[in-house]
Parts: sequence; C-alpha cells; structure tokens
Amino acid sequence: MSITLRLAWRNLWRHPRRTWLTMGAMVFSNVLLVFMITLQIGMYGLMIENTLKVLTGHMQVQAKGYKDDMKMRQVVPDIRALSAKLRDALGLETVSARASAFALASSEERSFGIQVLGVEPRYEPLVSSLPGLVKAGRFLADIDAAEIVVGSVLARNLRIRVGDEITLLGSGRDGSFAAAIATVAGIFESGVTELDRSIAQVPLVFFQDVFFMDGAGHQIVLTATDLALVGAQQAAVAELLPDGDGLTVYDWDALQPGLRQAIQADISSAFFMYAILVILVAFSVLNTQLMSVLERTREFGIVMALGVSPGRLGRLVMLETGLMGLLGLLAGASLGALFTYYFTVNGFSYPGMDEMAKAFNLPAEFYPRVTLLTLTLGPLAVFVFALLSAVYPALRLHWLHPVEAMRAA
Amino acid sequence: MIGAARIVATLAWRNLWRNHRRTLIMLAATTIAVWAMIFMTALMRGMVNDMVRDGVESLPGHVQVHHPAFRDDPSIGNTIPISDADIIAAFEAGGFAAWSSRINVPAMITSERETRGVTLFGIDPALDRNLTFVADGIVDGRFLVDADDKGLLVGRKLVETLETALGKRVVLMSQDPDNEIVDRGFRIVGVFEANLESQEETMVFAGKATVRNLLGVGDRVTEIAILGDDYRDVEPVYRKVVDLLDAESGAGDVEILRWTELNTYLGTMLKVMDGFVLIWTVVIFLALSFGLVNTLVMAVFERVREIGLMLALGMRPISVMSQVVLESLMLLAIGLALGTAIAWATIVPLEDGIDLSIVAEGMEFFGAATVLYPELTVFDVALANIVVLTLGFFASLSPAWRASRYEPMEAITKL
Amino acid sequence: MRQSLLILALVALPMTSAAGATEAKEIVRAAINHWRGLSSYSEMTMTIHRPDWERSMSMRAWTEGDDRSLVRITAPARDRGNGTLMDGNRMWTFSPKVNRVIKVPSSMMNQSWMGSDFSNKDVSRADDIIDQYEHTLISEKESDGHIVYEIESVPLEDAAVVWGKEMLTIRDDFVVLEHRFYDQDGLLVKALKSLDIGEMGGRVIAARQRMAKVETEDEWTEIRVDTVEYDIELADNLFTLSNLRNPRN
Repeated sequence: MSITLRLAWRNLWRHPRRTWLTMGAMVFSNVLLVFMITLQIGMYGLMIENTLKVLTGHMQVQAKGYKDDMKMRQVVPDIRALSAKLRDALGLETVSARASAFALASSEERSFGIQVLGVEPRYEPLVSSLPGLVKAGRFLADIDAAEIVVGSVLARNLRIRVGDEITLLGSGRDGSFAAAIATVAGIFESGVTELDRSIAQVPLVFFQDVFFMDGAGHQIVLTATDLALVGAQQAAVAELLPDGDGLTVYDWDALQPGLRQAIQADISSAFFMYAILVILVAFSVLNTQLMSVLERTREFGIVMALGVSPGRLGRLVMLETGLMGLLGLLAGASLGALFTYYFTVNGFSYPGMDEMAKAFNLPAEFYPRVTLLTLTLGPLAVFVFALLSAVYPALRLHWLHPVEAMRAA
Repeated sequence: MIGAARIVATLAWRNLWRNHRRTLIMLAATTIAVWAMIFMTALMRGMVNDMVRDGVESLPGHVQVHHPAFRDDPSIGNTIPISDADIIAAFEAGGFAAWSSRINVPAMITSERETRGVTLFGIDPALDRNLTFVADGIVDGRFLVDADDKGLLVGRKLVETLETALGKRVVLMSQDPDNEIVDRGFRIVGVFEANLESQEETMVFAGKATVRNLLGVGDRVTEIAILGDDYRDVEPVYRKVVDLLDAESGAGDVEILRWTELNTYLGTMLKVMDGFVLIWTVVIFLALSFGLVNTLVMAVFERVREIGLMLALGMRPISVMSQVVLESLMLLAIGLALGTAIAWATIVPLEDGIDLSIVAEGMEFFGAATVLYPELTVFDVALANIVVLTLGFFASLSPAWRASRYEPMEAITKL
Repeated sequence: MRQSLLILALVALPMTSAAGATEAKEIVRAAINHWRGLSSYSEMTMTIHRPDWERSMSMRAWTEGDDRSLVRITAPARDRGNGTLMDGNRMWTFSPKVNRVIKVPSSMMNQSWMGSDFSNKDVSRADDIIDQYEHTLISEKESDGHIVYEIESVPLEDAAVVWGKEMLTIRDDFVVLEHRFYDQDGLLVKALKSLDIGEMGGRVIAARQRMAKVETEDEWTEIRVDTVEYDIELADNLFTLSNLRNPRN
C-alpha cells in the first residue's frame, strides 16, 4: 500500500460520521438505481418481447411493399418450402409461415369483416402468443383441416361456440371468388378488444386452397434466439432468400415503429430521474470534500511549505474521493443486487400494475433479473460524478499560498 | 419567551451564513432537488392530463351510456332503448358541464381514389360543441351548424389518405338496423386536427338528423356522453346519470359506465400517478437528506466549543436544539423558495407545450399526444414543500439532539 | 361507378318518365333502355387483365324490372356456380363450395366484384343513374353517319357518387360509345370504352367494352357480350334467394 493511499484512507476516517453520511447518499442512490434500471430494462425487454410475440415476431420475410400495401398479390411464393429452408439453415424452430386476407366471416345470422390468417399449426405457437391464449376448445392441429380459431369478441358477435361453423367469403389471390366453411376449433382471448374482434386463424394449406394462393403466403415470421441477435440473424435470413422474387426481411423496428419510440420516450423521462439522483449525490460529495479541504488549510499549508506540490495534494483529495466512491459503489451495488434479488424471487408488483401491464403487453407480476449492465450502470455513474465533484476542491489547492494557509484559523 | 425565540432565530440565521460555501452548496442541492420534484411532477401531471383530455374529455366524456351489446358490436341495431326526445328532456335538466346524445356507427368512406373504414358520428353541434375536440380542432372550413347540417367533418390525416380536400364530396356507406345498405354523398365542410393521430384517421362527423335519415333510425341514439366538472371525481355525475335513466322506462336495458371503466388503462394510470408523485418527492428528499444531515453534523461539530459555552452560561438544551433545527429549516425554506421559483420559471414558458413529435408514434403507443403541456398545480407545489419541511425537520432532530446533549465542560475544552 | 349497369345489364331501370325531363336525360334513359330492355338474358365473358396475369370468366345474367338481376358464373370450373343476386341496394352471394347464401354487408361493398375493376357497389346499384344526376347535353356531332351526343352528368349534392362528373358519349341509335369518370378537380380517372359494336338480340349494342384507369392503362377489365335476348319471359321465382341457392337453369 503506497503512502498516499494509506494517507487518503486515514483522512477519510477523521470524520467517520461525515464519511458514512456521504457514503450513505451514494449507497442509497446506488440501490435505487440498480433496482430501477434493472426493472426498467427488464420491462422494456418484456414489453418488446410480449408485443412482438402477439403477431409480429422479431423479423418477417415479405414481398417488398407488402408491409405498407398489404395487397393479396404481394406474395412469398412456395412459402412452406422457404420457411422449412430457413428453419433448417438457421437451426431455428421458431419460423412460421403465414398468409393473410380480408374476408367476411358469417354465422347463420350475422356477418363481420375480419382478417383471416393462414398459419402453420405446428410452428405458429412458437412465434405467437395467440395460440396459447385459446380459452375454449383448442388451437389448430392439421395444416389442411377446415378449422378456424377466432377471437372471443368475434365469437360473441357472431353468436357461435366451439364446434359451430363459420362461412368465410373473400377474394382469392387472383381476385376470384373465395369461399369456405370452417368449424370453430377454438376461441382465443387476448384481452385486446381489437384483436379479439377482428382476427381469425385457419391452417395454412386450407387457406391456400380457399384463397387460391397456389402454395404462396404473405409472411414468414421469425423469432430470433435472442432479441439482441436479430441483427445478425436478419442478415443470415437475407442471404438465404431466393433472388428475383422481390423478397425482403424486415426487423421488428421496421414492422412496429411505435415500439422503439415508446421506449425512447420512456427512457428520457427515466433518465431525468436518474440524473437528479446522481446530481444530488455529487453535491453531497462536493460539500464533504470541500469541507475536508477547507478544514485542512493549515495542514496543507505546512506540507506545501515543506515542498509537497499542490498537484500531489490534489491527487490525495481525489484519491480520498475515489476510495469513498469505491466503497459506495461496492456497498451500493451489492445491496442493490440483494434488494432487487428479493423481487427476482418474489416478484414485483404495485397496485394497478395489472391494468398498466395489460396496455403494454406486460405480465401483472414482474420478476426482474439483475445483469452486469443493470448492476453497474447506475453505481458507475454515481462514482464518476462523485470524482468529478471532487475536482473543484482538489483544484483549489493550486490557489493555496502556503504562508497564508498556515496562518489560517 | 418571544424574545428568547427571536434570539434563537437570529443565532440560527447568523450561523447559517458562517460557512457560506457549505451553505451555498447545500442550498444549490436543495434548490435542484425541489426544482426536480416540482418540474417532474408537472410533466407527469401534464402527460396524464393530456391523456385524459385527449382520450376521455375530448369525445367519450366522463360517463357513457350505451345499449349493453354496443361495446362488443357497435352497430346501429344496438341503439339505446329510450327516445332521444326523452333523453334530451331528462339530461337538459341534469345540470352537467356538458353532455351529448349521439350516433356512432362503423361506416366506409370513399373518395374518387380510396376507401377506408371509419366511425361515423352523428352529432348535434349545440350539444357536442363543448364535448368533442372537433369544434376547436377545425383548421380548415367550419364546424357543423346544426343537427340538420348536410356537411361532413373529416380529419386532416384521412383527407390526405383519401386524396380529397375541403369542399369535395365523399360517399359514406353503412347499414340500417335491418342490415340493409345505406349510403349518401357528403360534402367536406370542415377539416379537423386532433391530438391523437388515430382520431384524425378514423372519425368523421356529420349532423345527427342527417345521419339518422341516412340510417333510418328515427328518434334514437347509440351513445350518451356526459362530462362532469372534474375527471377525478366522476361519482356524482355517475349517480346523477343512473338516477336520470332510472326515471326513464326501459332504463334497465342500458349500460352506464364511468370513464375509468371504459378506459381502464387511463383510470389506473391516474391512480398510479398520485402514488408516484409522492414516492418521487420522498425519494428525492431522501437523496438530499444525507447532505443535509451531513451539513448539520459538520456545523455542530465546528461549534462544539461555543455550544458548550452557551450551555454553561445557562442556555436551555431545548434552545440549542431549536437553534440547529431552525438553521436547517431556514436553509430548506430558502431552497424551497428558490426551487419553487425556478420550477415556476421553467414551467411557465413550456405551458404552450413541449413538442415531442420526434417520438410521435411512441407517444401514441402510450396513448399520449405529441405535444406535452406541463401542469403546475398548487397541490403538487404544496406537497413538495410540506414533504421537504416535515422530513427536513425530522432529519435535523438527530444532529440537533446531539448538540443539546453536550457536557458543557467537556465541550468547551474540546479542540 | 354507375357504369356497371350499362355494361353488365344487371339491373333494370325505372321506366316511368319524369315530367319535364331534359333532352339529355331522355337520351341517357333511352340508351339504358336500349341496352337493357324490359328484361334480358345474356351470356358474357369477363376478362381481367393485369401486367403479370390475366383471367377470364364466363357468366350468364338475367335482368328484370326495376333493379333485379342475377349473375351466375359458368366457367372456369373452380368458379362455376358462384352466383350474385341483386335487388335494389341489396346483394347476396352464393357459392356452391360453402352451399350458403350470404348477404354482402356494407363494409364489403367497395371490394372488387369477382376480382374485376368493378366493385360490388358498381354492379349492384343502378336505381340512381338517372335521378341522382343532373344531365346536360354538351354537344352533337356527326360521325360515321350517326349523330353523337356528348352528355355531362353531374351527381346531385347528396348522391352516393364520388365523381365530380361523368361524361357519356351516346350515338343516336342509343349505343353508349364511352363513359368517362372525372374526379372533383375535373381530372379523368377512368373510362369505359366500347371497343366493338354489333347487332345482337335484334339490337345494335356495344359487344365489347373495356374499363381502365387512366393511371394504370395496363390494368383493365373487359366485358364481351356473347349472346343476348331482350324482352323475354322470365320465371317468377328467378330473382329469389332459393333460386340463387338451387340453380335450376
């Protein structure tokens, strides 16, 4: 241990109460920051995952322009083969082909315009949460069965139950008259009225027969192994697409532009709160270190008269701050991790969270997971700002005149 | 007694400025903390207000009445089973801030080039003027004149999508109660802007009588919307609506809902927000309190000898304690005054709105508009002040208590 | 919009003559009467052309009275038996595949009819072609030994018509040569042109007509009349839902 370090350490404990209090401010802020950032980042992740999990997926292969125009003729040819090829090449099960059409769904008595999705019963549950939300009956099974799964509000409006028949009427890919009867296999309830009222799913091959798709579909939905890997896997998918079919692969941000912006808007307000916390800690440190320098004016005057440079003394002050900051960081991060871990085990919730959560596709109870990033981000910021706030007291030493300083009271 | 108090106060004030650097730093921290409390709260309040204003008060109202099946199946077949004449007679006497009985049904709107699905509102402009955002949102043309107005109000976005314009005709098509198709040409007499893009894209407004003729529904409406005085206090309005409708025959066959039930997300948001404001204020204070206590501890420490002297000369410990607490409260009071003043000075220029259009789609995701109007309320300012002074008082007690407990002789001789 | 009845002869027109009708209105009325007769039976081929594909459908159509008509697809095989019944504003559709009659709701009325450049609304609605417009005779010209009338038809204020105006070019033997649709800025949006004129069913009529948008000339729908009979006796139950469901002819 160098002498400066030992000196700094000893100086720190000249006024133990003061040091404890300053460190207390750091620890308090650090615990809060660790907890809040962990919660926040975890929630964003879930919000993205859960929003995308409904229908969008992480990526989609589509004909260029389909995203905006949604025309029946903007197809991905031979879609099941391509989706199987992607599944193989990427070693990824979470790849599912879909076709989509606007159709009129009728029961004996009533008719409503809806969006019909042709899906692969085997793979759809891997990319979408809707199959898991089937509350009555079951999800689709055979890829060519004349079955349909509808939303709960649509079922109510059509006055149908599982086992009843629905007539679908629409236009085929070439504009010809498309019609089919499908038996209701299941009814899903997502809680989002818009979805529950206007979406129905049928097996892909059945869809292709009814709408004369000639083996084509409209989207291949992919879920990457991890949201962070979307970029890399998107490039891999793009490589695998056949040339000349005008196909392209969009990532979730292109498919759902509101999502990232919502997060950005939320981050900026959270950032404001964090910044205030960090600034208050910085003021605390500034106050402490300035006092500690001023108290020692005489002492500093003497050592400077003995030939110690102001720079060295400045470094001493910085080192003291650094030590204090480091203690605050370690204690804060550990306590923060412990505090957050409690919720990792027991789940975090607040009154009203279930309602808020529903609006953003979040679960009513949240289990935050501490990661290295969420653990260190806040405490490091506090540490850096603590050091920065000690710069002024340290620099003051340069303006110190040894003789005057020694005379100071 | 008063004299003693004055002395204590004078001493506290002088002590405060003995070490002006320390006081100024602490003052700066307090000011920033108070500013942050009030500013952040004003932003959050502004956002919730905007959401309620745009999502509730700008059309749906605080309380809504429908046919029980209407929310699942919003078709003209599900009208309220009371004649509009009776509704008007009953509600006119209700003394509500604003109310309206209207028709809203899904319809298709067609221009020369495009077709879109919309909700067609048949409104009585006299009733809806103060209830819908449309009256104030007209940027081109005019608002409807009366219920017989043959004109149509269309959102700016929809006008663009349809490639049409003010003064041009569009065709609206819907179904009558027997599911027969009905349609009619409408001339666009007004173009409106709304805070939420979805409102501009999916809503069109026409005269109630004109829409009734089109749909062939006679003296019926699909929705009654009622606005009270305060969105936080809907219960009186709700009770009154229930009473009014109970008096009408067939009232059992309607669904009466508060906005918090219609829009559970916003309702919860409002509740959560009040809790959040308090938590935020307390958290910020706690972060500040470490510095405050630290300052007091140092101040007391520096003055051990003189405190000992004062005690030796017969000053009562309670006076010493008051002196320290008062010093702390003075510091906080100045910080509060400054912080509040700065908060006010930073919020007032922003009251015309903060433009958030770079994250427009994101704000829409939250159901908020792209322009945020911060709201400074007396309540929130008072909350911040009371929290800081109260908690400040308790935080100062420990150092003050220590100061008053010094052994005079020991203290005097302490170096 | 209103072109459909002219070409497809799906709907009958009001035969009563309004007092004080203008000459232009009389010409339009006469042209439509000429095209439709009191009742009619026709066999037609509809060709839908797109840059990347083309398909044809054969159909039979019956019309009678004010606004009743029935269309049944005969080819290709996969569309065979599909039928559309129209009675005034109402439209029903039947598909042998689902063996069910479905009433077309308003939300589907602007969708394309059988994939063509005509919407369901186009083919189902006709009762307003004369009365919902103000007709003006713009010019009379000599051409190929015929007088050709140019008539401007402007929809009335609350007519369910999106066009700013429509221009009809009608020959003195009441054959419609061209029907043009203008937007409300006076820009031509689409036009229905008679490509072949010939004698069929005892009348000179437009035997082949093509509808195309000005902006997309390579996307069009053509209707060719293969045979037509006018003023024939039709069975009483022809325009009923049960007949739509159980084709006896």
